[in-house]
Amino acid sequence: MNAPDWVKDVFDRYLICEFTSIDNGKPVTFPLLFFYDNPPPKFAVTSSILFSRKIEHMKKNPKVSLLFSNPEGSGIEKHVVLVQGVAKCDDSDLDHGWERYLPMWRKKEPYIDGFLAAREQFAWFWKRIVVEVEPKKILAWKNGDTSKPAEAIHL
Amino acid sequence: MEERRHLQTRGGNPPLTTLGLIDPDRLALFRYSIVTWIDKDGFPFSVATDFILSENGEILLKKPSVPATMTGSRVGVLFNHITGIPTGGYTDRRYMLVWGTVSEDKGFLKLRPEEVSEWDEKILPFDKLCGAAVPQGKKYLESLQPSIDA
Repeated sequence: MNAPDWVKDVFDRYLICEFTSIDNGKPVTFPLLFFYDNPPPKFAVTSSILFSRKIEHMKKNPKVSLLFSNPEGSGIEKHVVLVQGVAKCDDSDLDHGWERYLPMWRKKEPYIDGFLAAREQFAWFWKRIVVEVEPKKILAWKNGDTSKPAEAIHL
Repeated sequence: MEERRHLQTRGGNPPLTTLGLIDPDRLALFRYSIVTWIDKDGFPFSVATDFILSENGEILLKKPSVPATMTGSRVGVLFNHITGIPTGGYTDRRYMLVWGTVSEDKGFLKLRPEEVSEWDEKILPFDKLCGAAVPQGKKYLESLQPSIDA
């Protein structure tokens, strides 16, 4: 991906994104913890079966978007980046499939180990589906000024 | 952060007024909004923008630079609050997701709310939210059952 450093910083440092799936033509957006891997550029989120309606949406329509607009807790300046992509849902191993993202999760939420210690108590919260998103188009607004045209990032 | 909802209201036809559907005091606690619509290519398109609440309780969104393909069509507007903490992660989690239509109004995009979904961990703690979501988890597991049986 041929992106300027400030865009890469957003992917590396922001804690959450605003993730949109489509429910029968209606956009449904929630703030979600995300993970970024590169190369090739790939975004991932995980979802408990408890909050799996978005997964049902994506199985019917895999077109999704991730907006990165909130620098809180990241330690970097505000920029806004939109990623549109195709989601692939993996629920073949609800108990352990998501654990490959645990090291990245731990960096963003160090206290997650406390929740993991209570894994039995919150058993269904830890039954998780992995969603990997292949980006198709990226638009970026430096300094978060969306009143100006976005910069297209070449994949 | 997870998909969490403790309140969902579906608007009828004609749409309810903003004040009838959304608590303006709660909405005023958010700093900015995320407007999302389905673009011509079928992908969701989101953009962050500021908003103001008019004296009449109208939600006025600052017009972003993107082509106004959302005007007249259904949009979702997320008001999200997350406070990052020095040790990583976040706290004081709450959001409000409003669906409706937008129209041009004196240089702004006026949102006509039709439906809202929200979560505030101070109102509904996370463990109680998980308890309320068990039917969805059960439904999802049951949907996998045929492939497990096969």
